[in-house]
Amino acid sequence: MLDYEAMSGASMQSDTQQIALGLRQGDVVVLESLVERYQYRLVRYLIYLLGRRDGVDDLVQETWLRVLERGSSYDGQARFEPWLFRVARNIAVDAMRRRRTLGLESNDDDGIRQAPASDEASPFTSAAQTEDADRLARALETLDPGYREALVLRFQEDLSLQEISAIVGAPVSTVASRIYKGLATLRHQFEEKQHEH
Amino acid sequence: MNINQHESFQHMIDESLAGAISPEREQSLREHLNTCAPCQVYLSATNRVVAGLGGFSFEVDSMLNARVLASLKRNVQPAQAPQPSRQWALIIIAAGALTMGGSFVDLQFGSLIASVFDLQRTQLRQELLAFWIVPSLCVLLLFPLLPLLSKAGIHREDREERTV
Repeated sequence: MLDYEAMSGASMQSDTQQIALGLRQGDVVVLESLVERYQYRLVRYLIYLLGRRDGVDDLVQETWLRVLERGSSYDGQARFEPWLFRVARNIAVDAMRRRRTLGLESNDDDGIRQAPASDEASPFTSAAQTEDADRLARALETLDPGYREALVLRFQEDLSLQEISAIVGAPVSTVASRIYKGLATLRHQFEEKQHEH
Repeated sequence: MNINQHESFQHMIDESLAGAISPEREQSLREHLNTCAPCQVYLSATNRVVAGLGGFSFEVDSMLNARVLASLKRNVQPAQAPQPSRQWALIIIAAGALTMGGSFVDLQFGSLIASVFDLQRTQLRQELLAFWIVPSLCVLLLFPLLPLLSKAGIHREDREERTV
């Protein structure tokens, strides 16, 4: 796996150029390496975005097919991750709209909203590996998806505000505000949980 | 220091974590943190939340990669395989352009070329017809038939295979 932080700017540029070339040519080897490299991160991003595990695999599959189909639109000038997450987000938003049209979810003007209450166990509770993560799980479940998305992109994917802004299609100031509010909510609930213990 | 000032610095901590702070403000925040216990507590709590976000490990279906790759391969093959009908269409277009080009050269520049090469106008026309226009026209007329002939051949082979 490539570590972007350890790579120089030039070699990162060369890596992204190779990805762009591979996508333009529909190169299976390049696609395979991208799937290997980004699959877990894609799954994690979609879980944070949707707040559920159910249906994420289908969206992942659809995302990669869209990457193959629209790969020529990635020019290799910037990092691949923001472009990939943008594709995944569009797929997820379309899927949510389809579900709403079918009456499976409540109406809202934004593409991504709260996941419906379901019998499915929280993906965060079942994925928590540490005591702190366990404390955060419940708070994440009820957190606004827009905040959750901004938090995962900033603190798990280490993307800049500009990159997140390009993914979510919102101004940088809005993204920053979502991060502050998300952090404030989690901090508050985290402290409450600590006092309970 | 009053509460408002602490709030201001605590907001700067959030800005710093979000990557939305200028180097000057970052420096001033660092200096403040050296001496302010409440803001240190705030920073520590926030860092703990951020670290907590890294404490999740989501399960990925072991078959998901295989399914994705199989589906990509199914979809990538038609794009990589040569498309005979498209190739033939391009050849037909090229042959059409050549035919028209030959006729155009003959009509527009025939007299000029004949005088340059010291040829009879009719002789030049015959040569253009023989070596340019007629071959292009043949390609133009024959190539549309090739896909049909090829399909007929494939169907015949299929029929023969089934009979065997």
